[in-house]
Amino acid sequence: MIRTTEVCRHYTRGPQVIKAVDTVSVAIAEREFVAVVGSSGSGKSTLLNLLAGLDSPTAGTIEFKGTTLNTLSRRSLSQYRAKSVGIMFQSFNLIYHRTALENVELALYFNGCPFRERRATASAMLERLGLADRMTHRPADLSGGEQQRVALARALVKKPEILLADEPTGNLDQDNAWQIMELLTDLNRQELTVIIVTHDLDIAGQYAHRLIRMHYGRVVESLTATDRGRA
Amino acid sequence: MTFRDLVAISAGNLSRMKLRTFLTVSGVVIAIGTFVAMVSFGAGNQQYISDQFDKLGLFSTMQVQRLTKTAAGDSTEARLLDSQALTDLSKIPGVRLAYPFDAITVTVALADSQLSAKAQALPVSAMQTRLFSQLRAGSSFSSDSANETVVTPQFLHLFGLSNPDSIIGDTIVISVRVATVDSGLAGLLPRDSGWVRQQVRSVRFDSLLHSDYRQRQAKRLANEAISRFVNGFFNHRAILKETLTVVGVLEERGTGHTRMEPIILPVSIAAKFRSAGLSDDPTALFSALSQGTIFSLDSAASSRSYPQITMDIDPTVPLKSISDSVTVLGFRPFSFAEMFEEMQKFFFYFNMALSVVGLIALVTASLGIVNTMVMSILERRREIGVLKSLGADDRHIRILFLVESGVIGAIGSVVGILLGWGVARVASVIIKRYMEKEGVGPV
Repeated sequence: MIRTTEVCRHYTRGPQVIKAVDTVSVAIAEREFVAVVGSSGSGKSTLLNLLAGLDSPTAGTIEFKGTTLNTLSRRSLSQYRAKSVGIMFQSFNLIYHRTALENVELALYFNGCPFRERRATASAMLERLGLADRMTHRPADLSGGEQQRVALARALVKKPEILLADEPTGNLDQDNAWQIMELLTDLNRQELTVIIVTHDLDIAGQYAHRLIRMHYGRVVESLTATDRGRA
Repeated sequence: MTFRDLVAISAGNLSRMKLRTFLTVSGVVIAIGTFVAMVSFGAGNQQYISDQFDKLGLFSTMQVQRLTKTAAGDSTEARLLDSQALTDLSKIPGVRLAYPFDAITVTVALADSQLSAKAQALPVSAMQTRLFSQLRAGSSFSSDSANETVVTPQFLHLFGLSNPDSIIGDTIVISVRVATVDSGLAGLLPRDSGWVRQQVRSVRFDSLLHSDYRQRQAKRLANEAISRFVNGFFNHRAILKETLTVVGVLEERGTGHTRMEPIILPVSIAAKFRSAGLSDDPTALFSALSQGTIFSLDSAASSRSYPQITMDIDPTVPLKSISDSVTVLGFRPFSFAEMFEEMQKFFFYFNMALSVVGLIALVTASLGIVNTMVMSILERRREIGVLKSLGADDRHIRILFLVESGVIGAIGSVVGILLGWGVARVASVIIKRYMEKEGVGPV
């Protein structure tokens, strides 16, 4: 479904070249649940941003269903983010002055959803994630788990083909973390491709079909559940 | 993302930052208001003055005066504004009517009040021109010989009257004390027969053989005769009276316009006063003596000169051609239309100056909007990032902020225009009232 070929993302800071992502080639199939793991600074979040079209590679190519992302115009790339990809952030990135419902609705502004359907679709998504009684609450009035579920609702409401989640459990306690992971697993079972970035190996190992381990910008290991079982 | 979405998001963001939005909008309101008020004030003043000029008929009026000696040249005597000049000026193409400014000092009595005032003669045709046809009450006099008069608001003021309608139909008595040659001759005649006897006795006949004595006696007698003539001339004046019905009161007009005396008389009535004798002014006597008209005051009245002649001109004829014709005849033309052209130049620069002040305010307000938007962008960088991750492109973000600026500008402009219009209206009313209170005319 999505494939990177020799992708690099290098930053130049004066004479120094920082290789955040260096010649990474991975291929992720449809309905796969992939966890990208690694220590801080290993380049996993940068890789996720490249896959999301939020950043552009300095070398290599990223293909989504046969379309090379780094040749798309800015507007086409925006459409890719608006329709094909749902993104979750570690810090939720909810807009603090908008209610939960309005935050979710925002994702529908850019994918051509008609005005009248927008509110109903967003409400349905929040209800599905157990936030029916929290729709009119602002993020500050919600718990961390609820905020992450609002962020998940915002990522899913446009019915993306792939969900990219950057440390989805990083700011959550154990219970909320498990809840979110259960939700992602359910969604994956409903044919959603899920790619998460995490440094929590327990969670990654328990839920992901495949673990991609990164170290200093390079993929050093790619283990399927079978591989891990064998190990 | 539709325009409706953009406006909704913008309005939401603006309402969230109430104080900042209020302050920015206030800046725009003040700037636009200032600009509108400045421009309105300048344009309104220009329009007001133009309307007043038009209303008073000043665009179709030209004044003609004698050239000053300097202007006429030392060797040339400046031409008099006499009846011949009046005829010549009337013949200029585009001149519909020419009439002189002809004023006399009269005593006017209304009911129990009596005072001295100036009266001005005007032909009925002049009363039909825009300059004199605007009446506050009543109508113009019916003919040049009618025993009727039209008065001005100044006349009402002199007699302490406030309602112009109240005087219509009332009669006033105009009287003039005139000195005639008859009264001078009457003084010259000996008062009684004893005077002749006394004169005869006083003569020393034996001395008449001496030329010195004869000359002294002749001078004495001549001096006494002149003294008696002059005393008779000034002390035995006749009083000429006319009872006139007030038929109209002219509209109020400010200072700085054409000369207008409190009482307007038909020309025949004025001529009666004029030809009956000489006025109180001693120079009139010397003038009559020097011109050799002391024994023919009728002809003197008809050949007299005027300080000014007013011409009613056809506005469709180029002013310059009429003005040039007047100059060629040896007179000095003055037109309010030409003066207005000069005033328009002033108004152009005045309006420009006001506009520049207003524009400075506008630029300042624009910088206020830009500052608000820059602050807003810097504060909402994270929100912009989120929107981009959700599929917004640069165009969406740009439009979003432009719409926010536009909403501020639109609200500020509408309120500012209303405010500016209101301020200009209020200022106009206050200035008008102040001018009326100070007795200043429209110009």
